[in-house]
Amino acid sequence: MRSHKWAGVLILSALAMAQVSSELITPEIRRVGSRLACLCKSCKNSVGDCAMLACHYSKPAREKIRDMEAAGVSDDAIVASFVKEQGRQALVVPPNDGFYALAWWLPPVMVGFGLALIYWFILRMRKPGSAVVRTGVDAATLERYKDSIEKDLAKLD
Amino acid sequence: MENVGALSLILAFCLSIYSVLASLVGKWKRRAFLVLSAERAVYAVWALTTFASGLLVYALQTDDFRLSYVAGHSSISMPRIYKLTAWWGGQEGSLLLWTWILACYAAVAVFLNRKKFRDMMPYVTATMMIVTAFFLCLISFPLSPFEVLAVGKEVITVPDGRGLNPLLQYWTMAIHPPTLYLGYVGFVVPFAFAMASLITRAPGDAWIHTTRRWTLVTWLFQSTGILLGAGWAYAVLGWGGYWGWDPVENASLLPWITATAFLHSVMMQEKKGMMKVWNMVLVSSTFFLCILGTALTRSGIVQSVHAFAQSPISRYFTVFLAIGIATVVYLILDRLPYLKSESQLESVLSRESSFLFNNLMLLASCFSILWGTLFPVISEAVTGEKISVDGPYFNRVNIPIGLFLLFLTGVGPLVAWRRSSFESLKRAFAWPTIGALVTAAILVAMGVRSIYATMSFALSTFVVWTIVTEFWKGASAIASKSGQNILRAMVELTHRNTRRYGGYIVHIAIVIMFIGFTGSAFNLDATKEVGMNDTFKLGRYELKVKDLASGNNGHYKWWHSPVEVYQNGKLIDTLTPEQRQYTTGDTASVVSIRRRLHEDLYLNFAGMTTGGEKAVIQAYVFPLVSWIWIGYWALLFGTLICLVPSKVKYQFAKTQVMGVVSGKEPVVAKS
Repeated sequence: MRSHKWAGVLILSALAMAQVSSELITPEIRRVGSRLACLCKSCKNSVGDCAMLACHYSKPAREKIRDMEAAGVSDDAIVASFVKEQGRQALVVPPNDGFYALAWWLPPVMVGFGLALIYWFILRMRKPGSAVVRTGVDAATLERYKDSIEKDLAKLD
Repeated sequence: MENVGALSLILAFCLSIYSVLASLVGKWKRRAFLVLSAERAVYAVWALTTFASGLLVYALQTDDFRLSYVAGHSSISMPRIYKLTAWWGGQEGSLLLWTWILACYAAVAVFLNRKKFRDMMPYVTATMMIVTAFFLCLISFPLSPFEVLAVGKEVITVPDGRGLNPLLQYWTMAIHPPTLYLGYVGFVVPFAFAMASLITRAPGDAWIHTTRRWTLVTWLFQSTGILLGAGWAYAVLGWGGYWGWDPVENASLLPWITATAFLHSVMMQEKKGMMKVWNMVLVSSTFFLCILGTALTRSGIVQSVHAFAQSPISRYFTVFLAIGIATVVYLILDRLPYLKSESQLESVLSRESSFLFNNLMLLASCFSILWGTLFPVISEAVTGEKISVDGPYFNRVNIPIGLFLLFLTGVGPLVAWRRSSFESLKRAFAWPTIGALVTAAILVAMGVRSIYATMSFALSTFVVWTIVTEFWKGASAIASKSGQNILRAMVELTHRNTRRYGGYIVHIAIVIMFIGFTGSAFNLDATKEVGMNDTFKLGRYELKVKDLASGNNGHYKWWHSPVEVYQNGKLIDTLTPEQRQYTTGDTASVVSIRRRLHEDLYLNFAGMTTGGEKAVIQAYVFPLVSWIWIGYWALLFGTLICLVPSKVKYQFAKTQVMGVVSGKEPVVAKS
């Protein structure tokens, strides 16, 4: 039985199914890796959270981060070195400058535009205000009537 | 056989073109027999595409490796069920499935309306058949599933096929594509009715009443398809992610969002005769986003994990979308006088306003996802430099939008149609707001520091409180009047207005899903190299690798490692993550999950260390993730309730545009 178990281990290693090392996912590496896109074309994760341990992009990227961190290079400098090598696609999100800022600014601008559209729609669609009629009815009675109207309106649902 | 299959598709293509022409000519020349003939051509198209699909399935089942498609997506050792699913495992086959579903929908729509809407039906038929003809053109000419392997002019065969990607050999993936297609394709029918209504300048909202159930059913299929995809990603890909913001995933979400907006704003048209232009825009957008999604998946325009191989069909889709969108824009602009609102907004504090904001936020979410998906392509075209837009971007933009939508889900039911007063809103919102604040305070006191997570749980409390109050108030009134117990009264209340209360259940389902999504703020993970009997900790769990075993079942070789799970020193479970290597050479993980309501423990056998002495185990704790799947069942239940006819029919006083006198205001009739 025992030999059978080890035969399994040997087969596993012989096939070199996914020869990996987990030591490259430390919190420090993950911190920097989370700012960098995994460019393996098989996932949309960052280098920090790519789950494929033997990933042909994230694995060497993590090794590079580990080596640079060990050499005392700052997080920003590590990220900058990746950008220098791979271009801005190395970043997990578009930078907030130049044309790329549109990626960030257009959605809120469109929400603002939508709000302006709603405001215009409300102005256009609203009934003109009705004249206030003084009836001499006391506030409590008026409130009772209002409640009654609201209950009736609720039934329209 | 391949010739018969290809011929039946070409014949179906010709018949679909005939159906379009016969419908339009029959209508314009008032030749009823042509219109009838066009409708019969729809049935013939269905029969021919069914026949062609049957032939492809037969070829897959009998391992006919002369066919390039069969050789590329099936293999002798694959189980029969996956030989069937290979039908939609590749580009050509999935387009055939799409076309076949479209032909089925068209045939059903024509059959159900064979005696109704005689003015509109020729245009409905023509619209559905134009779309069918487009897809039949793709599978008849550039991407035929019946292409054979050949060297020169000689047909050849291969001893075995490549087989289906092992990642796709999973039960949810077996039904995910057809379900999603049922949702995508189904929107052709409401779109066709909307176009017919525009073309005929049909008075009233006939197209909306007719297509309401179609819309709901297709929306349900879309939701089911998306959730099945998420379930597959969670259980198969080995990292526990159910949503990766991949372009193809986004493409499936976009029409779902516009369809959701449509389902809400359509109520404004039904009850108040408002938002007619907007509803036309939404139903058209949903349809075109379905087509865009199909194009994105198949054309290689954007880089995606899921996309089929690059193919030359992107220009076909571009032309189809351009002509389609231009036609719809022209029709809407030309028919604007017929789409005028029949009533006015009486107050900003009204249900109508809340629908406006709901639509705005849904559309904002849709836009931001579309923008993020296409931005790498746009940016490369403008600057010449590639850019990555990955998960963190979509999360940053969409989480605030999602939370605001969640808030609106709670606000909507409390605001009355036409107008509400500040006083009544104050009364209605007081307790739910207190509930939300108390929830937030408790979470902060418990040490939760994630602002979004706190807001999500607090808003969930708010929404659940408002909906439960709505049920409680209505059911209490019925119970006190009829003497029924409160549960029976709730059933009675729901039956009286299934749309309203079914909708509330769907809202509850969305809240449940949000709770599941929010759990991801507290995920834990660890990747460890462990030998036999080694242990490691993750959260409250202690994990011990007990064994390594292997085997071969002819279809694949497998290796697995039983891992004992301890909590407080007590054995509570044994999980067995597995790695498989298929005969085709592909490998896949089969994760092992301990599912509980509060959290899932998720183990993935990631491989062996370089030296081969230790196994690498990826362990994850996913809090609350089960609530996403529970939310789906609630969504299914609520949507099915919406489909049940209400016991009480409500009439809404409003006016209808009956026609337009040239150059004047619409002629309206009060009802």
